Amino acid sequence: MSQPVTWLNRPALWGLGVAMAVVLALTAWLHGSIGTDLANQQQQRKAVLVANAIGASLAGADGPAASDRIRRWQAELPALESAQVVAGRELLASTRPEDEAPRALRREEKPLFDLATALRSAGETNVAEGAVRKKTVQVDAAGDGAVTVTVPYVVDGQFEGIVQARLRQPPDAVADRGGGWLLPLALLGAALVIGFFVRVQPARRFDVGRGIAVVALLALAVGFQQQRLGRMADATVAADLATSRVQAAAATAYGRTGAPPLVAASASPWDTDAYGRPLKLIATDGTLLPRPDAVQKDSHTRFLERSFWGIDLLGLVVLLFFTQGWALRTASALRDHAAAYAYVAPAMIGMLVLVFFPFFYGIGLAFTDTTLFNEATPFRERWIGLDNFIAILGDFNVVTRGAEGTVFNYQNFYWTLMVTVIWTITNVAVGVSVGFVLAMALNTDGLRGKWIYRILLILPWAIPNYITALVWRGMFHPQFGVINQVLQMFGLQPVAWFDGVVSAFMTGLVTNGWLSFPFMMVVILGALQSIPKDMYEAAEVEGATRWQQLRSITLPLLRPTLVPAVVLSVVWTFNMFNIIFLVSGGEPGGANEILITKAYKIAFEQYQYAYAAAYSTVIFVILLVYGYFQTRLTRATESY
Amino acid sequence: MRGRTHHLWIHAGLISFTLLAIYPVLWVLALAFSGQQNVAIIDLPKDPTFLERLRSVMPWPAHVSVKNFHDVMTEQPFGRWLLNSVMVSLMTTVLGVFLACTAAYAFSRFRFPGRDGGMLAFLVSQMFPGTLMLIPLFIIIVKWLGLGNTFWGLVIVYATTAIPFCVWMLKGYFDTIPIDIEESARIDGASPQVIFIRIILPLAKPAIAITALFSFMTAWNEFILASVFLEAESMYTAPVGLRFFVGGFTSQWGFFAAGSVIVSLPVVILFLYLQKYLVSGLTAGSVK
Repeated sequence: MSQPVTWLNRPALWGLGVAMAVVLALTAWLHGSIGTDLANQQQQRKAVLVANAIGASLAGADGPAASDRIRRWQAELPALESAQVVAGRELLASTRPEDEAPRALRREEKPLFDLATALRSAGETNVAEGAVRKKTVQVDAAGDGAVTVTVPYVVDGQFEGIVQARLRQPPDAVADRGGGWLLPLALLGAALVIGFFVRVQPARRFDVGRGIAVVALLALAVGFQQQRLGRMADATVAADLATSRVQAAAATAYGRTGAPPLVAASASPWDTDAYGRPLKLIATDGTLLPRPDAVQKDSHTRFLERSFWGIDLLGLVVLLFFTQGWALRTASALRDHAAAYAYVAPAMIGMLVLVFFPFFYGIGLAFTDTTLFNEATPFRERWIGLDNFIAILGDFNVVTRGAEGTVFNYQNFYWTLMVTVIWTITNVAVGVSVGFVLAMALNTDGLRGKWIYRILLILPWAIPNYITALVWRGMFHPQFGVINQVLQMFGLQPVAWFDGVVSAFMTGLVTNGWLSFPFMMVVILGALQSIPKDMYEAAEVEGATRWQQLRSITLPLLRPTLVPAVVLSVVWTFNMFNIIFLVSGGEPGGANEILITKAYKIAFEQYQYAYAAAYSTVIFVILLVYGYFQTRLTRATESY
Repeated sequence: MRGRTHHLWIHAGLISFTLLAIYPVLWVLALAFSGQQNVAIIDLPKDPTFLERLRSVMPWPAHVSVKNFHDVMTEQPFGRWLLNSVMVSLMTTVLGVFLACTAAYAFSRFRFPGRDGGMLAFLVSQMFPGTLMLIPLFIIIVKWLGLGNTFWGLVIVYATTAIPFCVWMLKGYFDTIPIDIEESARIDGASPQVIFIRIILPLAKPAIAITALFSFMTAWNEFILASVFLEAESMYTAPVGLRFFVGGFTSQWGFFAAGSVIVSLPVVILFLYLQKYLVSGLTAGSVK
């Protein structure tokens, strides 16, 4: 029908070329960024080592002695720009003469005091829990090449204060930040040459040419990646070596400060991670220790290896896209239907960027521990797998029976789920029954003023629902609200509506019932009017009572209209954010939160973005399951 | 004879229920015209009698005054918020109608690979829960694109959320326009763009009007996204502003009531005018 796209007619050449370019670019980019990561981490590791060493050398030193020691440190290590020691409310020592240490901290130095308090409590939490949960080392990379690290200094297991050291180190020669264009270009050239000579017959299911293309791509890709992994391993070793030189220098400097002597030939206690745990890769004298099996490979290398598999797979998909003839088909479809795609494109791009991408991004977020505070860290560091879902679904701590009686845990997922289900059922029941009664009344033959009733009764539906919610909030006001005035008018006690679980639930129910009955009323009225009058006449001739007419004519004929309306209103009510959020706000104590408002509060009041995303994913799955059963149910009623 | 007494009871029931149902509306009107900020319609003396309490729940202010309307527009930034809402809603309408018309036309008139998949994707997207979208949208719009505190952030999100409904509705309408009209125009030498703009769009005016209204109402009544995206008070839309009057630490019920009347009036009138189409659209869509 349409002419083949001739310029694409070399599938092997195009496939190998594009796939190889994709693989090379991604591999080089990933290797480069991980290399930079490693280099930065390396600078920080050395800075932490020096700061820890300074801290250790302060044991048993008072103010003047401490100042003396850190000045010696600065003389021994040119990379050390400045160091300050804070103990309690005192600036114990500083390398800067203008600081005039020791003296009390000044008001503008409060951040230092706060940092000391935070690190101390983090360390004490870790000790108390017997675990490492909180970081005890603070690293600030200024971006100008200098690194400021703050570590606690501990004497005889007792927290004494903090050491803040600022180091400006020469960039590591070992840092491998990618580079080298020759090899990738040569590999790309090789791929193109192979692609030029290989012939692929897209018409056949499998042929030799395709096999050769796949093997060639994988061989070239893996070759390049192995070379990069080798360089990464070299960089890691070089990094350890550079650190060991700093360790040796620090050990020498330490010896000259007059601090108690080091334990020789054991793992360095200064080379630690962010939790203050020794890495055990370097001895005190600076010699390299053999890596234990568990950490045989640096985490960066492991990450690279795993990512390279993904990149190879992607390359393979790109290759197949061309060799299987999909590219040809896509190109000719794009050309033949250019007008159609041009018309769809704006809306489709908008939907992809602002609906589908956020949706999948949200689901991805659910598997991390993202909060407001760690958004900037790389995705792979935030990945925690199913932990959020386990925390939400695996927590059955709903009811506690204690000495004070039964206590409900309102924060529990299952409590909120139960409230949501009750909320949905009661609301739909109220909406349907009120709507039904009103529709029956309005459907009376010869009733005058029907349209006035109709217009007035439809008003609650017309008003924006956030306004409705705020209005009812005002009417439920415990002191001045009209509802309590009416109660007192008849001599009853006023009710503190938002203080009790049941009464607060009622506020939501009344509000939502008020705004949802008109929809049901209009839908049912429409259906009632379409029931032929002669059916009732025939029934009356047969001697059927009104009740019998209702049961055997009205209700069965309402069913096709009522079922979809109920289905719709179940979803609306389940997701009715505004009413709960604006009327009771989930009071008291979050007891009346429904799933959707709960997810909102987790995200925007507690800033637990990932946990809220997991919560929302669970809500989505619940709706999906509901949708599945609802379609089956609707099908069943249709066949009936 | 029997029939008439029967109707009497129905009228009695309907009238009392209707009074109950429109009471909140009357309550807001009473507060709006009361000229004061309290949540109570009139101030009660200490130890009020039955009649005094009855008077306090009657939706009629002690002194009828338009002071609240005047003050909310002049003393409060509500006029600005209203203008913000109008701007956001109009921009949403223009963008939403453009996106929906083009896509719906393609879905209705062209047969192309991916057509069914695309339409299904639009339908499925309606099932995504709001809060699941809210967090990523917040990160994308505010943190990545830096469009927090701007109208554009809201407009593009509103317009895209309205797309699926609008596309399905418009496609249904385009389907009813006979293809012969287009073919005769093509024979006369009109290009596809000219056909779309000069022939199809004018013929689809009623459906486009509904689409525009839907887009407008989506933006006009939206509250959650706006309160998450907009931080500066001067950028608030009317819904966020109305909540500002009575949420949290302030309680200026008079301003809230007057503002609510202003915001609701156009929407309510439009709604009452269009409710027939809305209901038939809703139920027809769900039965199929």
